[in-house]
Amino acid sequence: MNRTILSLLAITTLSWLGGCSNLGQVNAWDKGNLAKPMMTFEGDPLDQRFVQHIYASKENSSGGYGVGGGGCGCN
Amino acid sequence: MKKIYARTATLALATLLGLPALAIETGQAAPDFDLAGRLAAVKLSDYKGKTVYLDFWASWCGPCKQSFPWMNDMQTRYGAKGLRVVGINVDQKTDDAKAFLTDTPARFDVAFDQAGKTPRSYAIKGMPTSVLIGPDGKVLMVHSGFKDEHRADLERQIKQAMNLKD
Amino acid sequence: MKKSNINGSQTATGVLLASLVLPGLAALAAITPLGAAAENAPEKTTIAIKYGHYNDSQPGWDRIKVDAAQVYVQAPIAGDWSIEASGVSDNVSGASPRWHTQNTALSGASHMSDERKAGDVKVTRYLARAAVSASVAISKEHDYTSNALGLDARWSTDDNNRTWTVGFGSASDTIDNTYSGGSTAINRHKSTNEFMGGVTQVLTPTDIVQFNLTRSLGSGYFNDPYKSYDQRPNQRDIWIALARWNHYLEKFDASLHSSYRNYSDTFGVQSHTLGLDWVQPAGRWTFTPGARYYSQSAANFYLDPILDAQGQYDQPAVVARANTNNLHGSNQSTDQRLAAFGAITLSMKVSYAFTPNTLADVKYESYRQTAALHLGGSGSPGLDPFNANFIQVGLTHRF
Repeated sequence: MNRTILSLLAITTLSWLGGCSNLGQVNAWDKGNLAKPMMTFEGDPLDQRFVQHIYASKENSSGGYGVGGGGCGCN
Repeated sequence: MKKIYARTATLALATLLGLPALAIETGQAAPDFDLAGRLAAVKLSDYKGKTVYLDFWASWCGPCKQSFPWMNDMQTRYGAKGLRVVGINVDQKTDDAKAFLTDTPARFDVAFDQAGKTPRSYAIKGMPTSVLIGPDGKVLMVHSGFKDEHRADLERQIKQAMNLKD
Repeated sequence: MKKSNINGSQTATGVLLASLVLPGLAALAAITPLGAAAENAPEKTTIAIKYGHYNDSQPGWDRIKVDAAQVYVQAPIAGDWSIEASGVSDNVSGASPRWHTQNTALSGASHMSDERKAGDVKVTRYLARAAVSASVAISKEHDYTSNALGLDARWSTDDNNRTWTVGFGSASDTIDNTYSGGSTAINRHKSTNEFMGGVTQVLTPTDIVQFNLTRSLGSGYFNDPYKSYDQRPNQRDIWIALARWNHYLEKFDASLHSSYRNYSDTFGVQSHTLGLDWVQPAGRWTFTPGARYYSQSAANFYLDPILDAQGQYDQPAVVARANTNNLHGSNQSTDQRLAAFGAITLSMKVSYAFTPNTLADVKYESYRQTAALHLGGSGSPGLDPFNANFIQVGLTHRF
């Protein structure tokens, strides 16, 4: 149920992007701040491995983090 | 005919979605610019009669770091034959650009466009983007990104623009 | 011989393994070149090492301790390729309960030590607007082996404002605890297939968001062979939805990372995970305080402890119930990990850049898990609170 809501929210938000002027249409030359290392989703590769490792052994949910992407607009 | 339809459809869609117009295309006149440089103003009109390799770069753009040594090389080799490499920096803070230039020197003309007017007029889609402009002021090539394996091809296009044998 | 509880279900380190390497995607999916955007191989080679230490405490139990050493390498190859590899060696020691964790009397305490070694390799090919990766991962400990593969692809729109990702992972595990003297799991198997789709969208010059949906289908042996009368379904299907948002604040030159993950599986467990981190650079230093809230519902075959009239743990009643369930072939478990509870983590990471390419970091986290923290307040009855501390120290160098 929650998953459905979340997915619907994701799809709706993305559809709105066409409507809201300029949301989601960022110029390549304006991406300086997005290019900063602090703006990536993963950051330190080993940090999260250890932490997710621990959570997986103490809780019953693991995974879902998937792959990163987006960012500086560098080709 | 098909091409016109495709172009019109894309333009219509782009307008509808509010996207910037198509990136500058070959054959079009290269839009002029008048920007502050390191020593004096840098204007496209100053380069009339020369072949211009225009490069949009920023301190935060990874591939840009790799392209500078190559652009220096191109300027050195073909400068006498009429090539002018012009790097247009789009950093919002010029200090960042200057720090980059200290580590990665540019032996070609550099202009600063903090407001982003020039990349907008050229409607560039990614960083870096380079535009090759012929002596007549027309766009000959638009290239996105910079990878080692592109060097040979880019150099060939530069030579072609200046009517040099390969 | 008992296995450390840190390693949870299945076997001591089985679950760590399972979760980490499961199925290859999970472990390696998180590795993305710094500043990855449209598709260039990384410019430099990166080497990182990290040492992690974990210890926990729960009333009546000896501490579980884990020491883990990790190494990671990422290197560009031939312009359009990159390779990443990592290895970890864990040492676990401590004791774990056979029944509910509060039943120290029955379970006794015996110390043991186990070691796990795992490694993985990922190769990525970069194309104009896309990248494709393939990975393999292996993990071994004396009673649990896991082999996994992963494949993923991502591609970006022309303006690099949107990146689509798809991934597939598959893991094949073998559980065999005959060595330890326990004969409940001899040459058992488990296999999992995972499918993931996601989109990353640049919203404004200071905002980027990501949505991921994962579907995992698992079948095989899910029981914890170190727990008495533990009988779980032989299939576990999972849905996970994740939303993340990174926001840049010009005023502080800092970024705020928020994330929400919704999990639900066919064991009946549903969970929410909310994460918040503030990344604050300050010259060569970077400070990252963080907080995490987690809440899960109980599995539908989780059994609460039974208390007698004096409010004491009623061992005979618990055993009788277990026997009855066993006779009927019903699923059952007294594993605390399948109960309803909530947990909070507070963390602080400090890193220092000796040069733009050499970084040292230290991260400390404090974790507390209790039934009372369950969303809505009513977790499973009779759960003892659980506290843990973990610290990591690392060094990263690019050249």
